[in-house]
Amino acid sequence: MNGDLMLKVQAWVDGELPGEEARQVEALVSGNKEAAALVSELRLTRGFLQGNETALKVPDSPEFYWSKIRREIERLDASGQSVPAPSSALWAALRRFMVPASGLALVMIVAALSFKYFSPATFEDQMVEVENLSEEMSSISYRSQADNMFVVYLYAKEQTKAEDESQFDPLDDLLFQ
Amino acid sequence: MSDLSSRRRLPWPVVTAILLILGSPVLTAAILTIEAKLIWATDESKSPDANHTPVDPVTADRLRKTFKWKNYFIVKKMTKEVPSRGSARFDLSKKCTVEIKELEGPRVEVVLIGEGKPVHRAVKPLNKGESFVYSGDDKNETAWFVMITDLEQK
Repeated sequence: MNGDLMLKVQAWVDGELPGEEARQVEALVSGNKEAAALVSELRLTRGFLQGNETALKVPDSPEFYWSKIRREIERLDASGQSVPAPSSALWAALRRFMVPASGLALVMIVAALSFKYFSPATFEDQMVEVENLSEEMSSISYRSQADNMFVVYLYAKEQTKAEDESQFDPLDDLLFQ
Repeated sequence: MSDLSSRRRLPWPVVTAILLILGSPVLTAAILTIEAKLIWATDESKSPDANHTPVDPVTADRLRKTFKWKNYFIVKKMTKEVPSRGSARFDLSKKCTVEIKELEGPRVEVVLIGEGKPVHRAVKPLNKGESFVYSGDDKNETAWFVMITDLEQK
């Protein structure tokens, strides 16, 4: 069954087809299992909806109900009065302040992000503070720009002394186990 | 109608508050994910310690370009988060510990501790991808390295 035929079957179930067309669909349904199944499914669905749909009733008649709404709109338009909103003077003043404040906050965040991620590294940014904390050790620091590496080479002061005296001894493993 | 237009307006106080809340971490500090590796360098092709594993080829290439040794083995590798304005301790061996503190800047303070005693302190910015390396000679023409890398800034 194609879509058009299915719609036609649905219209027939809803009693919306004129006489000749209704008879054609009725004949189709009686001779076609697929169409018959669709009809029974549609009727079942309609039965569920009819049995379970909550009916909401307005206490007034529909005409009176809608005329009340229309009259209220006309009254408000005529008096130039709007529905009371929380737009008191304080609220309006606060809002006037908050609009530029939000913009300023956004600009500051973008600026901070730009500064953090895109600003070129200054000399002070790259400055390194090094300090030997052991009297037994000395250090040499250097930066390998190509390998993006900052190296601190540590050696025992005794080593220098020993080298000076041409009595080199292998370093003891002070740090490495 | 004025009622409808007022409803469509953005709640600017809320927008401002959200922007400031989102922006405040940017203006303050970062949580660092730091990897610390204790590396042993030698010209021998194998380490006598079966627990040592060769460093990854990229790191090995970087180290070979700067240092003379042919082969580099990981003795211990640790990854920890260093909280904003806080510190983390990396115990890389019984004798070797590194303490890293996140400072304003953002910069890091690295303190190398040997056998429980502070040996060296450095304060520097640690940029993403950059490595801070402590090195020293070891027995039989070998060397040790402590390689500190900022993996990710949050």
